Amino acid sequence: MKTNFKKIAKDGLITSNPTLKLVLGTCPTLALTTAAMNGIGMGLAVTFVLICSNVIISLLKRAIPKEVRIPAFILVIATFVTIVRLALDYFLPDIYESLGLYLPLIVVNCIILARAESFASKNGVLASATDGLFMGIGFTLALTTMGAVREILGSGAIFGYKLWGFSIGFFSSSAGAFFTYAMFILLFALITDKAAEKSRIKKSAKIGDFTQTKEAK
Amino acid sequence: MFFKTIWFKCIACLLILMLFSGSSITILADLLFVSPEMRTARAIKKIYGEEKEYTVILDTESENAIEYDGVGKINKIYDVSGDMLFQSTGYHGYKDGTITLWIKAVKYGNGYAVDKVLLETYEKQTLMGKLSGDFYDRFKIADITETYANETFFSAKDKTAENYNPVSGATYSATAACNAVNCVIRYLGGEK
Repeated sequence: MKTNFKKIAKDGLITSNPTLKLVLGTCPTLALTTAAMNGIGMGLAVTFVLICSNVIISLLKRAIPKEVRIPAFILVIATFVTIVRLALDYFLPDIYESLGLYLPLIVVNCIILARAESFASKNGVLASATDGLFMGIGFTLALTTMGAVREILGSGAIFGYKLWGFSIGFFSSSAGAFFTYAMFILLFALITDKAAEKSRIKKSAKIGDFTQTKEAK
Repeated sequence: MFFKTIWFKCIACLLILMLFSGSSITILADLLFVSPEMRTARAIKKIYGEEKEYTVILDTESENAIEYDGVGKINKIYDVSGDMLFQSTGYHGYKDGTITLWIKAVKYGNGYAVDKVLLETYEKQTLMGKLSGDFYDRFKIADITETYANETFFSAKDKTAENYNPVSGATYSATAACNAVNCVIRYLGGEK
């Protein structure tokens, strides 16, 4: 069967966006989006783990008995999370410190286990790597945008650079995180629904044109 | 017979995965090991904005920490181009946890003055986000010797204290941070 890479990419970014459509990985989304840089750091760490674990699980899918597939997946994921932690602590200590407790918690991030179980264990290596990449990009984009909005409104800064003295403390709080997340989900649903309706109308118009031409003939 | 059962396959699969996982992590942990010296150099770079040479006055890797009963302890002391750099841990934080700070003391007259305070790590604290840059900046005091002589130590609870440094909603964490700074004041005041 031919792999539809365009569909995999669209799924990861829009149709099945892990944060804004599937509402997965909510813990880091709410806790770490106080700053845009945190979103990038967490997003890149998750993307790396997603790609690597998807590739390994896809390679080993026939070798892992289905009775122990979840412990085996967790073992693979935990290995890559440990590697990310070691690498971040060594190369990017500031990001390592700001992600704190949420970095080891990537092991239990639903996005990674869900992609391993529902995609990587059923598809080829290249398709699984692409799925990991685009799911990761979708997650990173969502976290970074949310982090940027909360940082601008909550601290009057962006990527640590002060923009103005004005800030609304509510957006830096936990309640502000829930509110911003809800607004993002709502906006994303509105935009994607509108786009889907537009393409449906376009499609039906095309079908209508085709039937008319056929009838005219 | 056992070798053909699903039990064996499952155990073998997990053991092989564990072996690969363990060996790759062991190799990488060795390659990417961050030594205490590297951590100190990082802290110095954060405080001074550049890498600096330092000499060790006290390091708990080789000696015992300087304990101040019920207040905290000083883990490390470095001489960085004439400045004194302390790594100090304050007790009595939230849930009896601790806060460890880097405290830079610069020469001031015949004594020292606190110039910069930076968070290193903490234990059991949940509201560390409330301890902003302003809170750490308020630890800057002109004369440590005078502060010690007048016993005007930092406090996050005592409103009547001269060096009252509170944080609304995170009093315990602020207390631990105050204690870490108070340890340095005691040390530079002469309690060694």
